[in-house]
Amino acid sequence: MGWLIGAIVLVVAGFAAAYVPRVRTTARQRAAAWADARAAIAVAGVSRDAARERVAAAEELLGRAESIAAGQGGAGAAREAARCARAADRLWQDTGRA
Amino acid sequence: MLEAIRDRVRRHSGVVRWTLLGIAALSVTAFLVAQRQSADVTYGQSPPTATITEGSAGELSDATLPSVEDMRARVDADPVVRLPGSIATWDEQAVRAAMGAKEVRIIVAPPGLSKDQQKQVREVDNATIRVMGTEVTGGLYQSSSSLLTEWRAQFARNDVTAQLIGLINGLNKTEVAAPPADGLWREPTAAELGTVTDALRAGGQYTDPAVGLPAVSPKRLTEAFGTADALVVALPAQPRDTPAPDYGPALAKAFPDKPLVLMVGDWIEYHGPHEADFADVAASGFYARFDERLSTYAYPAENVLGAYLGWVADVRYSGLFDRPLPYRPADPLRVALPVLPWLFAACVVGFLLLSAASAGPARGRATAPGLSARLAALSSLAVEVSGLTGAATDPDLTRAITRLGAARAAIGNGLPDAQIRGLLDDAERDLDRVGRAVGVRGYRPADYLRGPLA
Repeated sequence: MGWLIGAIVLVVAGFAAAYVPRVRTTARQRAAAWADARAAIAVAGVSRDAARERVAAAEELLGRAESIAAGQGGAGAAREAARCARAADRLWQDTGRA
Repeated sequence: MLEAIRDRVRRHSGVVRWTLLGIAALSVTAFLVAQRQSADVTYGQSPPTATITEGSAGELSDATLPSVEDMRARVDADPVVRLPGSIATWDEQAVRAAMGAKEVRIIVAPPGLSKDQQKQVREVDNATIRVMGTEVTGGLYQSSSSLLTEWRAQFARNDVTAQLIGLINGLNKTEVAAPPADGLWREPTAAELGTVTDALRAGGQYTDPAVGLPAVSPKRLTEAFGTADALVVALPAQPRDTPAPDYGPALAKAFPDKPLVLMVGDWIEYHGPHEADFADVAASGFYARFDERLSTYAYPAENVLGAYLGWVADVRYSGLFDRPLPYRPADPLRVALPVLPWLFAACVVGFLLLSAASAGPARGRATAPGLSARLAALSSLAVEVSGLTGAATDPDLTRAITRLGAARAAIGNGLPDAQIRGLLDDAERDLDRVGRAVGVRGYRPADYLRGPLA
């Protein structure tokens, strides 16, 4: 009986030792990606407010980024939202300078 | 000291964990493999088997019998008929006294008759009692000894007085006591004893010329007594009517620490170590088992002794007397087995602790201190420069402040340094643009960070 319990404890401990850090890393990466995306969206918002004229493409991109962010999701979704927000930001900044 | 060990264990945590796992697996395997070994204690492994097979052991003598009619006629003519080759003798006075007034006719046949010859003797129906060899039968009865002294008289001296009187009592429904069965024995003379002891000292065995007993192999003696150093004395059956030398006690005194087998006719007795415990048990078991065959047939002395030695080994291996069995070295695996569960448990605990260390609650990760300082300096610059900006520089300043806010949140949430650094880099670039546009010396981040706050 002791052997069985010991073997089960070994398997569970080994599984936990491999699984928990992996889950933790994933969660941290996801949190970082979303923080990045939120920052990019906020910056893009600033650029939009500063722009002299409306840029339809940029607004569409930002809208997409915001809707992705609203739906939440994994690190991939966060990266996509950040990419869209940055592109929109660049469009608005280019308009501002031109 | 403890800290150093903990550090080292933490650094090699992977190796240590795999080692512990390996040891645990090994101990489980050893435990499972050891299950195949079972306790192997049995009293049924005595090497010899004391069996005697019909006809093949030389038990038949080449005696011939007269015809049945002839024997009938002789029994009619004479109350006691002794056929040639017969050996049984008895105390005639005592037997006649037991008979009383009733007529008892006795036919005495030699030992070692075949089944057919025995049948012929039984067909002599006018004989009340038949004695074949030293086996006494009559009517429905067969008379056997029940005391060691009676067996001794029967096999050492061919004296069947006790059996005859017992059978007559049975046939006549009388209760006549037999005289003491243990015939006449005397101390051996010094010359007789000297002959035997000299032979024993020289070769461990004395065989009377009248007995055809070859040297007993040391292997048989070792099986029986645990030592090849046992002594064997073989004498022929002694006549009933003269005192016979009783060598047993004298030889036991001469060789007190050696097993001694004394064979007189078919009677075998043991002297030597453990005699008080052992001799009677061995003899009564042996003669109770082989009484009938030994009395009816004429086995060579070699076979009788062989059967006796086998019997002795059986008795010794039966563990009746706490005699130690041959030494068996301790099996190291068996000795080590009890430690396996503890070893296994220790490995499990160690593995569990190390796993907990790596899977346990995350410790607060400290952000590199330079980043916090940089965030503080850039925030301060943003505040200072904010009073000087105009419409052209406001967006950049706002973007920078937004990024600084995000960086502060990232530091608060313990996000990776690389991300914080990226946010700060972007904010610095924005502020740099602001500083260049404002045109005041010292408000570009590169200058400002090297300034009074640095």
